[in-house]
Amino acid sequence: MRVPITTRGTLFVVLAVFFLLVGWRIQALPDYTLARVVQDFLNALTLGSLYALIALGYTMVYGIIRLINFAHGEIFMLGAYFAFFAMVLTPLPLALALLTTLLLGGTALLVTRSLFNLESPKKTAGLAFPLLVGIFVLLGFRQLGWIEALFLSMIATAVSGVLLELVAYRPLRGAPRESMLITAIAASFFLQNMGQLVFGPYVKGFNPETVLNRPLSFRIGPEEVYFTGVLLVVPLITGLLLLLLNFFVTRTRLGKAMRATAQDAEVAQMMGVNVHQVIALTFFIGSTLAAAAGVMYAIRFGQIHPLMGLLPGIKAFAAAVIGGIGSLPGAVLGGLLLGFIEIYVVSLFPTLSAYKDVFAFVLLILILLFRPSGLIGEDLTEKV
Amino acid sequence: MRDRILTLATLILATLAIYGLTQMEGSGSLVSALTLVFIWSIAAISLNLINGQLGILSLGHHGFMMIGGYLTALLMLPEKERSPFRTRLLSDWARENLDLNRWLEALGLGFLAQSTDAKFVIALILAGLAAALVGLIVGIPSLRLKGDYLAIVTFGFGEIIRLLPNAPEVARFTNGPLGIKGVPGDAGTLWWTFAVFLITLWFFSRLKFSSYGRAFEGIREDEIAAEAMGVNLAYHKVLAFSISAFFAGVAGGLYASYLQSVDTQTFNFFVTFFLLVAISLGGLGSITGAVLGTAIVLLVRIYGGFLEEPRPAYVALFAISGLMILAFAFSVYIRRARHLRPVIEPKHLIFLGTGVGLMLLTLAFFSTPFVQQEVQFFGMRKILLAVLLILIMIYRREGIMGRSEFSWKLLFGPREDIPTEEQRKQDAWLTNPELNPDAGKGNNGAS
Repeated sequence: MRVPITTRGTLFVVLAVFFLLVGWRIQALPDYTLARVVQDFLNALTLGSLYALIALGYTMVYGIIRLINFAHGEIFMLGAYFAFFAMVLTPLPLALALLTTLLLGGTALLVTRSLFNLESPKKTAGLAFPLLVGIFVLLGFRQLGWIEALFLSMIATAVSGVLLELVAYRPLRGAPRESMLITAIAASFFLQNMGQLVFGPYVKGFNPETVLNRPLSFRIGPEEVYFTGVLLVVPLITGLLLLLLNFFVTRTRLGKAMRATAQDAEVAQMMGVNVHQVIALTFFIGSTLAAAAGVMYAIRFGQIHPLMGLLPGIKAFAAAVIGGIGSLPGAVLGGLLLGFIEIYVVSLFPTLSAYKDVFAFVLLILILLFRPSGLIGEDLTEKV
Repeated sequence: MRDRILTLATLILATLAIYGLTQMEGSGSLVSALTLVFIWSIAAISLNLINGQLGILSLGHHGFMMIGGYLTALLMLPEKERSPFRTRLLSDWARENLDLNRWLEALGLGFLAQSTDAKFVIALILAGLAAALVGLIVGIPSLRLKGDYLAIVTFGFGEIIRLLPNAPEVARFTNGPLGIKGVPGDAGTLWWTFAVFLITLWFFSRLKFSSYGRAFEGIREDEIAAEAMGVNLAYHKVLAFSISAFFAGVAGGLYASYLQSVDTQTFNFFVTFFLLVAISLGGLGSITGAVLGTAIVLLVRIYGGFLEEPRPAYVALFAISGLMILAFAFSVYIRRARHLRPVIEPKHLIFLGTGVGLMLLTLAFFSTPFVQQEVQFFGMRKILLAVLLILIMIYRREGIMGRSEFSWKLLFGPREDIPTEEQRKQDAWLTNPELNPDAGKGNNGAS
């Protein structure tokens, strides 16, 4: 995507200020060694890529229907819980596995039927058969590892996201934007409390047996840097998903339809784009990314909770706004920036660590007040 | 004249009813429910000024209420609750100086400190002013924004205000996560809240029909047109924001007194959400609607406890499936009334099928332990409120009252405007060209 020159200038200034501040602070702190720099860098990269993944969902939805999907943080929470149950409950008894497969796969197919232009029965069967068999085999025969659970959870979460769109947001197409925002807030509360009701209001441990959890370390000078595989895998998976998303948005017909809808839904509709499908697809993709983020967040911090989506969700939203809401690279940039700021501020200014959660909001407000279009976003000034 | 007499009569009746209620034995739960209705109504009316009359979505109301709550609590905290043992995180300076008695004595008004009620009046006004000041500070920069950006900024400010008392530097003034306990409950009584509620009602109804109120509504309908008509946008927006924050602060102070304590969880985002449900239900832009909405929503919250009691799972399963079938019937009714075709779509049938299937499955497995087990639905009331808000937004965006207010005319009809039989004949004569040769020529029918 083309980045205008002025934007590039702003970006440069922001990054320069950030690094100058970090550099100045590091040389002022005597016990801040290279090992800690590397350690913080790893943590920040992981946290930033998680924020980026969630922020993508916000930014895509906002780009297409101008709705701040407050419930996106709860979709993220659902992703983590689906993966948890996929790992804990498998292998299911075969009858139950069959039932779950039919329910989940059936809903997935029903929801995606129109999404991927599967109007012909042959094509639908071609997708349905492997999908249903795949889910059944995954559920029925052995305990799942986190990768398979991640995959299953991405499907289930995507279905939930599209259902949310169908039930809560679609009836409001064309309504005032304030009404849509209020609905989104209500949906967020609904999912939070439903989560507490169904999953129980307690913290659950999330520690799958993988090599990723094993503590590793390497030496830099006299000190050691501790990390786990998760810290390296999260940015990798994030990068992979981003490449996929970029390919999808820029190189496929549906991606083109999506960009067209984001630019002008009415004209896109006249050109033959099925706008409802494209919006559902946006929710589908956003929820998939949120599920991935949720599972990796759970592995990174080792626990899940029905309210876990609250803070990361809001911060990711802040990241999307900081980067420029509606812009995909902006969301990634904003997420990474927020992750780095959060980690480095706490690490470099220990006295400020109590204000950790306030930073995201302060940054959000500053950006909205002085550059509402975000660091590299399009100009969203409303015209008469 | 009739309307004034009716209003006065209602007021006297309400006062008598409240007096009776406070004298009655065993009416404690009703009294506290009514107190809560009054407190939350004040907050809802104040939020309604921004969200309904000015047409700006503000999501930071809990922040303003929190400021009012904390300030009232600190100013009114009695001497024995101020000991370092009770308020561990409070700094010595705050412990000694954030005390209304001290301030009054310093001003030479020590005699006022004798009466708790007088002190509460001052404390509540100060709380409102502090909240209004913060509203001013928040409003001046952020009200340049529009739509959902503004909503997010107010949300951000509200959350910052909520998160700050936990930080160690601010905890010196707020006692951090421990909160402040032992606040005197004098202002949280029914009489007090009733009085403040009446004042609020009077103020806001006067405001709504004043030139300021018209200007607010002009801004809601069309900012550019309002500006062209000479309405100063920034001034009116900031004014409305500050007024709203003032009453939110007062409501926060009353609530702190009602609870006799305040901490960082007292005013979280759920407070704003709750108020949003109330004013959306009552009708955005209607003051009486806000009160009505608050009363209904509080009814669910206070008396909805039976929803969360433990009961056998089959009751819940039957309730869910029954509700699904009812919802199907309702949607058919709505679609018929709105002449939507087809009346029944496949997705509705799927929905109905799920409901019926669930009911049949429950019946089939009725004796299994899964269906017989005891279940408990924690948080059912909040879920209900969320569903209610979504349903309002989808099916009846204008709420119960719309933008209109309750009036006696609404109940008893417009007495002066009902034409008598004779007048109607006269009208017919005026507008009928056969009877009146001048009809249609100009200024006819105007008398």
